[in-house]
Amino acid sequence: MNLATILLAVGFLLSASVASAGSLSVDLRAGSGNPSAPQMGDNLSFHTVIRNDGNAPIDGLIAWISLVQIDKGKEQPLDLEDWSAHKAVTEASIAPGQTLETDWPIRLIQAGEYRVVVSAVSRHGAGLVASPFADFTVRQKPVVESLRVLPVALGLPLMIGGAILWRRRRLYR
Amino acid sequence: MNATSLIARKEAGELLLSQRGFAWLMALAAALSAFGLLLVSNTELSLLDNAQVVYAMVGIVTALGGLLALVVGVDAVAGERERGSLIPLLLTPVSRDTILAGKLGGVAIAWAVMYALALPYLWAVGSTGQNLWQGMVVLGLLGSPVVLGFGFLGMALGARLTSARAGLLMGLVTLMLSASPLLIGPSLRQSTIGRGFDAVNPFSAAVNAFDAVIIDSQTILGQWSHIAVAAIWLFLTLWLARSGFRRIAR
Amino acid sequence: MLIEIDKLSASLGSTVILHDVNLSLGEGEIYGLLGPNGAGKSTTIAVALGLLKPDSGQVRVFGQNPRRAAHEIYGSLGVLPEQNGFYDWMSAEEYLGFFSELHARHLEPNDLRDRLSSVGLAPRLRQPIGTYSRGMRQRLGLARALIANPKLLVLDEPTNGLDPRGRREIHDLLLHLAGHGVGILLCTHLLDDVDRLCRRVGIIVDGRTVAEGTIADLIREENRPVRFRLRLTGERPPAIAEKVPVSVVAHEGEWCVVDLNPDVAPDTAWRQLLFRGWPIAEIRHEGGGLEDLYLTLTERRAA
Repeated sequence: MNLATILLAVGFLLSASVASAGSLSVDLRAGSGNPSAPQMGDNLSFHTVIRNDGNAPIDGLIAWISLVQIDKGKEQPLDLEDWSAHKAVTEASIAPGQTLETDWPIRLIQAGEYRVVVSAVSRHGAGLVASPFADFTVRQKPVVESLRVLPVALGLPLMIGGAILWRRRRLYR
Repeated sequence: MNATSLIARKEAGELLLSQRGFAWLMALAAALSAFGLLLVSNTELSLLDNAQVVYAMVGIVTALGGLLALVVGVDAVAGERERGSLIPLLLTPVSRDTILAGKLGGVAIAWAVMYALALPYLWAVGSTGQNLWQGMVVLGLLGSPVVLGFGFLGMALGARLTSARAGLLMGLVTLMLSASPLLIGPSLRQSTIGRGFDAVNPFSAAVNAFDAVIIDSQTILGQWSHIAVAAIWLFLTLWLARSGFRRIAR
Repeated sequence: MLIEIDKLSASLGSTVILHDVNLSLGEGEIYGLLGPNGAGKSTTIAVALGLLKPDSGQVRVFGQNPRRAAHEIYGSLGVLPEQNGFYDWMSAEEYLGFFSELHARHLEPNDLRDRLSSVGLAPRLRQPIGTYSRGMRQRLGLARALIANPKLLVLDEPTNGLDPRGRREIHDLLLHLAGHGVGILLCTHLLDDVDRLCRRVGIIVDGRTVAEGTIADLIREENRPVRFRLRLTGERPPAIAEKVPVSVVAHEGEWCVVDLNPDVAPDTAWRQLLFRGWPIAEIRHEGGGLEDLYLTLTERRAA
């Protein structure tokens, strides 16, 4: 194994947690308090560290979060409308060596397999910088409410309706 | 059985045994069912916190209870007068206060039925969350004076206005105004006018107490200022109903 | 006197409805209160029952002010209002039981059935009142009015909606009650009812009593003949110089239409005619007397 191969392997490993393009890098990690097996209704949090690794300040930074569903046959980008109100962050300028840390809360609306990625661009940047992926699976929440609500919501009106009919039959017999 | 209980039982029979009364109960149950089904059929709503759902349903039950009590109250006086069944009642050797007490009892029974009808719904949507029992208790404690007050207001309007329709219309406008805190956002209620309205509006008192007890887990006894507003409303409407009922001449 | 109303005036809101109403009703008497629509009959009844406060004048029921002693008065009073409403979901038995309890009388089911039978309501006791015809509702209203065995009955159009048999039954019932000392204030537009039942009447026009007294006296005062139709089994005797108490208006086959001299009481007149050889087999009242009197008095006032 020559040196070039070793360096390539190290670089590949590094790219799993940090993405960079030029002087900007975006690191994405799942929040430490996230449930290990999240289900519908739970809240997750993701943490990004955007760093200026260059020698010159980076002006006009915009970073945003994207969510895609990766279930087989259901692959699609998702509208974050129901999932999160915190969809983007901006920063006027980041000095060399400085970082911008951001938390991205997400509410889990639907069951499935998902992938989160945070992207960043700057006013004069040459291209898009994307974070590594963070994947998670949302379990279907057992529909306990439905099992309770449906019998009541359907049963009570039926019961009253039955009482009306019974009363009518008794009176007009 | 004394005359008050006899008349209250008759008034309750009007709700529980007449086709019209059944139709009302059916409509109320259907409204609560619609809300319950909305909760389970809408993914986002189904994920609402149980306490939030209980709070919303308790508010809806109070509004529907107020509507039911208003209709029962107007009907007990103006409706009966229009149907010609009030005068024979007034010409029995029973004092007007006793007859009124019986009719008020009828409104109370109507609310009790509505309350009992709401309990399974509250259990269904809130049994896995916090403060369900507190929600049921605060509904009884704060919702009852608010709802009964609307019933008494219905009687007062029915006694003073010439027709049941006019009484019902005026009562509905009052109910909608009063129940507006359920519809308008908290920010609007933070304005000077909003705060003033909240301070005297019995419905606001009830809704704020529901919020404090069910969502914020405060104690029920700590809601004494809200209870006071609701109690003042109850006694004011009772006085209006009594003075109006004494004036009925034909 | 069961009811005494003297120089009564009363208002509804700012409108003066009654200006000068007088009325008196004694035990065992059936008094007819007459007047055109809007004359003030219902308002008079409302004041007499203590529902409405009079502006001036005196109202006494059982010798007491009905506004102050309503509780005692209502215990011995039966009322059938013009707008007679019920609780349609109740059965007649439940309804009557409810009112009997309010009158502090507990009636057993058998008693309730007897009372309903007395007004002709036996066959459909358990059906809801909502299914009743107008006539049946009227009978039920009468049963309710009688629930306290009242000394005084105030009836507003009691035979409304009744068929001829029903009317006759109610007439018989009222005459029976009056025979047992019950005073009955009868407010009606049916002059035939008044003619059959009442001895005294009061006529109200525009909130004023324009006539009060016995029907015979009022007709006599107005000098109005009363018309009868007589069925004769043969020829009436030829006219003779001696005066007869009737004037013949028409002769139609075996029927002879006559106007009775208002100065002569009917029974005296018939005796005189029979004495003079009139072969009278049947006498029918043709109206005329009370109806003419009523029309004259109400028209005169309107003019």
